[in-house]
Amino acid sequence: MAKHDTYDAIVAGAGHNGLTTACYLAKAGLKTLVVEKNDWIGGAAVSRSLIDGWTYSNCSYVCSLLRREIVRDLELPRFGLQVIPYEGGATFTPEGDYFAYMSDHDALRRELARHSPRDADAYDRFSQAVIRQCRFIRPFLLRNAPDPTSLRPRDLSELLFLVKQAHGLGAKELGETLRFWTMSIGDFLDSYFESDLVKAHIAGAGIIGTGLGVYSPGTAYVLLHHYMGDVDGAIGAWGFARGGMGAISNALGAAFEEAGGEIIKGAGVDQFLVRNGKVTGVALENGDEYHAPIVASNMDVKRTFLQHTDRAALPSAFTKAVERFKIRGSSAKLNIALDRLPSFPAAPKGATFLRGDMHCSTTLNELERAYDDWKDGRWSQDPYFDMLIPSQIDPTMAPPGKHMMTVFVQYAPYDLEVDGVRSGENWNDATRKAMADCVLDKIAVACPDIRERVVHAEVRTPWDIEREVGLTEGNIFQGELTFDQLLFNRPVPGYAQYDTPIRGMYIVGSSAHPGGGVMAAPGANAAREILRNIGKGKSMPDFAA
Amino acid sequence: MTDNRFDAVVIGAGHNGLTAAATLAQQGKSVCVLERADRIGGMSRSADLGGATLPEMAHLLYNLNPGVAKSLGLKIASRALPTVALCPAQQHVVIQGKTAQYANGDAHPDAAAYAALYQRLKTFAALLGQLAEGAPPALAGGMLNAKTLQEMMALGKLGLGLKRLGKVEMREFLRVILSNAYDLILDELSDGPLAGALAADAVRGAYAGPRSPGTVFSLMYRLGNGGDVTLPIGGMGAVAAAFADAATKQGVQIRTDVDIASLVIANDRVQGVLLSDGTTIHADAVLSSAGAMQTMQIAGIAHFDVEATRRMRHLRNKGTTAKVNLVLRNLPAFTGLTREQTAGRLLVAPSAVAVERAFNPAKYGGISKSPLIEAVIPTLTDTTLAPDGTHILSAIVSYVPHGLEGGWTDAARADLLDRVVQTLEAYAPGIGELITHSQVLSPADIETMTGAPGGHWHHAEMGIDQILTVRPANLMARYAFGVGGLYLCGASAHPGGDVMGAAGRNAAMQVIKDGVLR
Repeated sequence: MAKHDTYDAIVAGAGHNGLTTACYLAKAGLKTLVVEKNDWIGGAAVSRSLIDGWTYSNCSYVCSLLRREIVRDLELPRFGLQVIPYEGGATFTPEGDYFAYMSDHDALRRELARHSPRDADAYDRFSQAVIRQCRFIRPFLLRNAPDPTSLRPRDLSELLFLVKQAHGLGAKELGETLRFWTMSIGDFLDSYFESDLVKAHIAGAGIIGTGLGVYSPGTAYVLLHHYMGDVDGAIGAWGFARGGMGAISNALGAAFEEAGGEIIKGAGVDQFLVRNGKVTGVALENGDEYHAPIVASNMDVKRTFLQHTDRAALPSAFTKAVERFKIRGSSAKLNIALDRLPSFPAAPKGATFLRGDMHCSTTLNELERAYDDWKDGRWSQDPYFDMLIPSQIDPTMAPPGKHMMTVFVQYAPYDLEVDGVRSGENWNDATRKAMADCVLDKIAVACPDIRERVVHAEVRTPWDIEREVGLTEGNIFQGELTFDQLLFNRPVPGYAQYDTPIRGMYIVGSSAHPGGGVMAAPGANAAREILRNIGKGKSMPDFAA
Repeated sequence: MTDNRFDAVVIGAGHNGLTAAATLAQQGKSVCVLERADRIGGMSRSADLGGATLPEMAHLLYNLNPGVAKSLGLKIASRALPTVALCPAQQHVVIQGKTAQYANGDAHPDAAAYAALYQRLKTFAALLGQLAEGAPPALAGGMLNAKTLQEMMALGKLGLGLKRLGKVEMREFLRVILSNAYDLILDELSDGPLAGALAADAVRGAYAGPRSPGTVFSLMYRLGNGGDVTLPIGGMGAVAAAFADAATKQGVQIRTDVDIASLVIANDRVQGVLLSDGTTIHADAVLSSAGAMQTMQIAGIAHFDVEATRRMRHLRNKGTTAKVNLVLRNLPAFTGLTREQTAGRLLVAPSAVAVERAFNPAKYGGISKSPLIEAVIPTLTDTTLAPDGTHILSAIVSYVPHGLEGGWTDAARADLLDRVVQTLEAYAPGIGELITHSQVLSPADIETMTGAPGGHWHHAEMGIDQILTVRPANLMARYAFGVGGLYLCGASAHPGGDVMGAAGRNAAMQVIKDGVLR
């Protein structure tokens, strides 16, 4: 017999943003339900054990963007969240050399000078420029994006805030900011550095997760999504969530349940229920129906409206805008259980940078060519990857003496081309293996013994990620981070403040401002918006203040 | 004649240099234009090949600033041309303004969507076009004083214009303005020659594929003055001559074959120009239509601060367009086109995907096997250009890198010619047999001949990070260029390239406004 029940609010999807929204709604006293299609919570911030003794962060894998205001406010450490920073990183060359990034400034300067004395000097100018951009953007993350076409006092005041912030920069910095936001990461780096290796090491952060190349304008901005975070206040630092990225979702879930919330797992939303332009609840795939005057969707905007909402309930202009919202699958993932630490013959023994992010792409052109492959529906034949071995720092990830390696691969298409046909269906065990072989061959540049170390490997293509997690095309940002899809354009112009054409229904995932990464900002911003609309705006702290 | 004292000296007799000179002369200033080449015109000039007068580099007009044309009294006869998007399956599309139909007269399934898109882009472009009418808007300091407030007026006007479009269109403008042409086009049209024609127009002259963000802006830039493509009667040389006439009528002196050794600078102020033959020409202002870096080098890098030098060194100006000029003993027969249609602007850009693909090899110093071509046979419109019966085919070839791997040798030029002819053969079988004379100009050749940095037709890439208030570079955007009295007046200054004349006019007005001239 199908269940029916009534709540004050329902959140569809237990990703980190959905859980964040749910926490705030529950803490404001709303009887809140979270429904999740998988048998576990977390969405793409998840830890899973696919082989005994090993834990994989099998989607997102490192943590930095998670807003510390939210971590503190929801007391996530009390629910088990511990973020352990890691230091440094390296790019290995086929010639047996490497460029190592180190957080010790003097060590980094020596390392840069080893590759180019001029780049050692340029680095300080570079990092100042990036930090200035981070400082500029951080205050906007936990605020609404103003609607520039609106004359509502709130929008005007947000616009004024933007103008004031911009004005405060002065003419020179404003010009630099304008350029930075519209430049490619390749051009930006070319204007500072001469060493290909140094440039390639940094450039990856501008393209991870995007359908853009290192020379596509707008990728310098994407770099910020990897520099504007912090670990315990150390800006730009990255860390591992102890126990994997699922620790974040689990802490949020526990906080939510402590606040009186309820989570139903293993039952996805079939349909958002709408009557007379108002949302009334959700119908689940298993036939259960739950009712609430407020429904928040943590699914991306395409999935929410094109798959689970009656089109008749939506204005056609809105549906068209959702259809043209670009969510392009471009990343794959290898999660590997290792029988012991692989060898890195190029690196000094015990080098700290081996505990950071490692790469084997040595020129910007190599990265750009990897993008060209993707445009034509192939996985990059010479792929870029971001590879880490978190078990060196977090022993809970693998049995004693053994290790876990996470390899994020850019680029892999969602609709793979085989014999002239582009389709996600072309991803099968054979194509998955061929792609993994291609990646492992390149990892062998850094660790020649990698193949002997592999105990188990999980290969996740954009197609797989979509099917398991529910992210359209497996896109990690729930939508491209290009200007036509940022700020007041995200996800749809006119609906950039978490609201939708259906009264009571909200978008709370990364499809909304400020976009992707395990940030929790869209979830918190959306909660503030929901609470304000029901006259409970004061029950949530004003992070913007 | 031996008088070598002027109020202002203009470097370069391209259309911008000549416009700057004429504009200053109209204000009662004495002006001398110095041109390195033996002919005026820069990129808009004619050349003789096998008895025919052909447009050596630029071959069509579409962006001439009407304000400039009016104030200089330019007399340029020109004929509007339709665009013919060639299709490998012979289903060519004829585009005229907002209408698109198949060459055989059949309706195009995307005609309505195209018309709506074109109209919208044209409306947006007209709004942006206002920004070309003066120095780039100041972004900061708007609330501080009356002067900066006035400088923000241009932006204010744009904002007002946007508001007037209504909410829906304003939102659309703000969504697409920094976006990429590929998505914009394919959101509305199915991919094919019509989409390809738009995509190719968005990137012609640019070092960018249609998937690069910022290409919607470059498409709008093209449409800023209406977008109608016209063929100048009498050849491109007649265009340059019209600019020169306007200048000389105002008393401007134009000297060709002049080699400048350096600028004369004292106390951080320009005093004049020193020629290689030892002559000094004295002037209170020097306006340079040469590239930004070249101008810096002529002035002497020591006169600029480190940051300015660094910015100039990193200007993006990789030229990507080559020119192939052919003299044909007979009119080539384009399959499926009437004579009238053959006289149009012929585009080889079969789809937006093909345009993006053609860009790929150029990034690594190669040339696509299927190059993008904009060809025109001017002799069909203007019979005076070639001896009876013979014809000219002028082709702009996109995505030909300045830094070709292996360098620009004669063999490389021959290879490019071959690729272009092979590509055209698919649409006009037998065209190769008709060629009596040919000329191939690589971006490197164009740089050598005109001084345009990188052979780039805008002198500096028109990316969003190099336009308006940051063109050519941040803090150097208001024409004044480091040294007192030195100004940029060419395509590397706001608003940028094309045969437009706005940069020259704006620079001259800035010189007057700054009170540099007594």
